[in-house]
Amino acid sequence: MDLDANRQFIAEALARIPAGDRAALQAVYRLTSAKLFGVALRILGERGEAEDVLQEVYVTVWRKAGEFEAGRASPMTWLIAITRNRAIDRLRAARRSRAMDPIDEAAEIADSAPRADDALEMSQENARLHDCLDGLAGDERAALRGAFFDGNTYEDLAQRARIPLGTMKSRIRRAMMKLKTCLEAGPGL
Amino acid sequence: MSDTFDHSGMRDDDMLAAELALGVLDGAERTAARTRAAREPAFAALVVQWEERLSPWATEIAEVAPSPAVWDAIAAALPARQQSLWQSLAFWRGLTLVIGALAAACIGALIYLGNAPQQPPLIAAIDGGGHHHFVATLDKNSGSIAVVPAAYTADATRAPELWLIPADGKPRPLGLLRADSATTLVLPKEMLAHAVRDAVLAVSLEPPGGSPTGQPTGPVIATGKLTLL
Repeated sequence: MDLDANRQFIAEALARIPAGDRAALQAVYRLTSAKLFGVALRILGERGEAEDVLQEVYVTVWRKAGEFEAGRASPMTWLIAITRNRAIDRLRAARRSRAMDPIDEAAEIADSAPRADDALEMSQENARLHDCLDGLAGDERAALRGAFFDGNTYEDLAQRARIPLGTMKSRIRRAMMKLKTCLEAGPGL
Repeated sequence: MSDTFDHSGMRDDDMLAAELALGVLDGAERTAARTRAAREPAFAALVVQWEERLSPWATEIAEVAPSPAVWDAIAAALPARQQSLWQSLAFWRGLTLVIGALAAACIGALIYLGNAPQQPPLIAAIDGGGHHHFVATLDKNSGSIAVVPAAYTADATRAPELWLIPADGKPRPLGLLRADSATTLVLPKEMLAHAVRDAVLAVSLEPPGGSPTGQPTGPVIATGKLTLL
């Protein structure tokens, strides 16, 4: 699915939701649920949990679509942020109650390479982000990946890399700073 | 944040926004940062900027189709509205009653024609909102229960299972239901004794062969009380 081409469509559908248009929510669901489910599943590693999160996400979208500002964020960014937040909340809550080992849990989830159709859908911003990520040191990139894709905390990442917490914090902050500088520099620099 | 790192040009708020967007904060730090994002538009804008920077990364994550039950659950969680006849809950509720009445009338006719010493049938509108409606008619004379899916969208991976929950609150399995046509189940004697007025019928989604545990393992999608017509 070409999410970029659908961006305008999704934004328009979101705009109809505050008036109580269920068909608009269903249209958003049809276009975005497979991506958002992939995001939640990657963080939680379990279909049932990820489906619960997906349900929460779209009920949240129904309630909060009026807060989405098309001028400020892209609809996919908004939806992905809601999904990641919900999935991370659930992951952390489960961890607190089960005291599971974050290292083993993270290792069970295989790193998935981008599929061909996803690669085709890479936008300019996406290509730019990848260029900037390529410019990071390997351990910096790995730390950001562990956080973004698997929902790891500073503490999880420090344990996985077997380094002190403070060192991991500096590593992530340095990486984020480099990323911002690179993204703002724009292409060709 | 308690740490005092030199962020070399990145303001502390911007770094905190980055950490919140990335998801590395935990516990009280995460809660505090989210509270700020909810209250301070300037800080919220920084968080959105970071989300915008990072979100293209999600194109790397493969799309995975969720089970059809997810949309049903979402639709059921939304406040009821009437969009069109086919989406209208009132329509389906009405249809449910009509089907229930017809089923009861049929059974009534059978009873009349059969001239047996009669216990009146009990019916239940098993309703979970959204497209989750079944109508059950219990004929105590024959010990069978007929269940009609008045509005039900089949789930690709799970089957609807019928449960009887009498006053003791313990669910007892009655059997799997067909998603697209009426199912008649014969109740064993001891089960029939529990199938009285005000006992609850419930439908849950279970693995294809039915619940492996004898108790509902999947979500309960609809419930309704047995009543006299």
